[in-house]
Amino acid sequence: MHDRQSRVMRTNHVLMMLFVGGALVSSALGIASGDTFYLRLGTEALIFGGLALSVDLLLGYTGVLSLGQALYFGVGAYASALVLLHVPSFSLAMIAAGVASLVSSILGGLIANRVRGVYFTLITMGLAQVVAKIVYNSRELGASDGIIGIPIIKIGLGAASVSTADPAGFFLVVLGIIVALYVFLAYLLETPFGRVLIALKANEKRVPFLGYSVWRARMVAYVLAGVIAGLSGALYPMLRGFVSPELMFFMTSGNGVISTLLGGTGTLVGALYGSVLLVVIKSAVGSWTEHHLVVIGLLFMCSVLFLPRGLLGIVHPWLQQALSRKPPPEDVRRHVPISDARS
Amino acid sequence: MGMIDYIQFVLAPQVINGLALGTAVVLVALGLTIIFGLLDVINMSHGEFYAVGAFAALSLGVAGVNFWVLIALVPILMIPLGILVERLLIQRVFDGKDRHVSTLLLTLGLSLIIEDLLKAVFGPNTHSIQAPVTGALELFGVIVPNYRLLLIVIGAAIVCMIAFVIYRTRLGAVVRAAAFDRNMTASLGVPVAWVYAGTFALGVSLAGVAGVLLAPLYSVFPTMGRDFILLAFSVVIVGGMGSIWGAVIAGIFLTQVQALASLVISPVWTDPIVFGTMVAFLMFRPQGLFGRLGHA
Repeated sequence: MHDRQSRVMRTNHVLMMLFVGGALVSSALGIASGDTFYLRLGTEALIFGGLALSVDLLLGYTGVLSLGQALYFGVGAYASALVLLHVPSFSLAMIAAGVASLVSSILGGLIANRVRGVYFTLITMGLAQVVAKIVYNSRELGASDGIIGIPIIKIGLGAASVSTADPAGFFLVVLGIIVALYVFLAYLLETPFGRVLIALKANEKRVPFLGYSVWRARMVAYVLAGVIAGLSGALYPMLRGFVSPELMFFMTSGNGVISTLLGGTGTLVGALYGSVLLVVIKSAVGSWTEHHLVVIGLLFMCSVLFLPRGLLGIVHPWLQQALSRKPPPEDVRRHVPISDARS
Repeated sequence: MGMIDYIQFVLAPQVINGLALGTAVVLVALGLTIIFGLLDVINMSHGEFYAVGAFAALSLGVAGVNFWVLIALVPILMIPLGILVERLLIQRVFDGKDRHVSTLLLTLGLSLIIEDLLKAVFGPNTHSIQAPVTGALELFGVIVPNYRLLLIVIGAAIVCMIAFVIYRTRLGAVVRAAAFDRNMTASLGVPVAWVYAGTFALGVSLAGVAGVLLAPLYSVFPTMGRDFILLAFSVVIVGGMGSIWGAVIAGIFLTQVQALASLVISPVWTDPIVFGTMVAFLMFRPQGLFGRLGHA
């Protein structure tokens, strides 16, 4: 089926290839110049890009704003850190993070999906705030200091293995995981279930009339977003060697939201571009003033006021047109006018 | 320790403390709920307006302005700020497709800016303000600090005044009418845009006066709004978004839960308890205690 959504997604895939290409070129440059700092920064941008992906799945596709995605990011990070302290296994850490974020997002979803709209936003924010406070006060989890001294591990990739201490190698591993998450989400959105999620954003009241359960779709989207945030979070302690309650704080959720907004909501790949841009801006601003929140806040407001579709919103229409200039297959030509008339 | 002693020396003072905090929470939540009820906007920077009120009291107090004057002066000074924010920022996205999300994000950005500006001007440290009255009063054998009693009285007076204006005056009728049907009200010749701006400014100055009143009890620091706002949002949700009496009742209720819970468990766990109360409440009554402004 080729409708408007498929064409938008195809544009996103092209932008994603550009993104991956750019990432590969920069990692090659990084290796050539023997750089550590920028490769580490780039890895961090990718990890937070995963968090932004989960925000975009909720905001851009199902149309609900979560201000508490950092909760699952943090749950994943803590689960991964606790496993790595005892067993130096990459896959076990990822599984633990996946399971922990799955369980916690089911619990969180049962609470948050009781309500909708602004209530949902406030509840997700509150959930994250409360759990962050509990972690902050739990001595077992290192309280305000978090967990430090997470060992360097080897990640087995078939015959070869990559150390988390190797900046370029770990960058590529993280890039691979983020690309896999993107591909999975892009595939999911093409399935009938994915279309139900998009229908939720368009008009939630009509979805039940088509025979779908709104609650179930919302719940699945929420849990999925939680697990994606959790898996991204699991990579954080491997990069930095520590976790702290700050990972669950409001600013982390806020970063995910602003990355999505900046890049362009409802594009998936925009979240990744936005995250890279945010990390760049933060480190640039951070080098000359400690008051980087003013800049972030201004960025936030400007993107809402002047760029409601994000940076990719500028490129998108142009690129979409360029892509559809190729002679489209028969069925596309038949479907395009109908879907355009509707949109 | 006997039962009577427990009530007299532990329980009752704690209830009074909770009531003093509750009064300020009600004022903040009232601003939030009125803004939501009329404008359909979640003001995420409300906590920062509360902090601005406290810092205004701090700096004007240092400049020698009497505390009693501050209680009236700070809210008045915050009215232009509220009008500016409403006219310059909120109005720009007000008629957009997704008003809730865009206004929420816009005010969220504003809150980051205000918080960082406060940090830049006043530094990250905590400050304190001298209470205008000291000492304590004995009421039925219970020791009540004078300033807390005063805070409760002033806060209650402000709440009654707001309720009177909204429900008993022509101005209030205009506000309620605008909340109920914006277009119809505009067609009757009411300058709805200014009603919106004015109401937003009223909400902002309520947060400001709460900041002034609480400043002598709690320390003043740039991120104070962030810690406070979750409680205020919980109050608004339990009370019903946009309901004035809901905010009052839920504000008192949740702060009493917080105050009494901290008697039995460590104070660091009171936030989860308050939030848990809100979640439990949502399970049974997602729409909150009362209906929305202009709709009930």
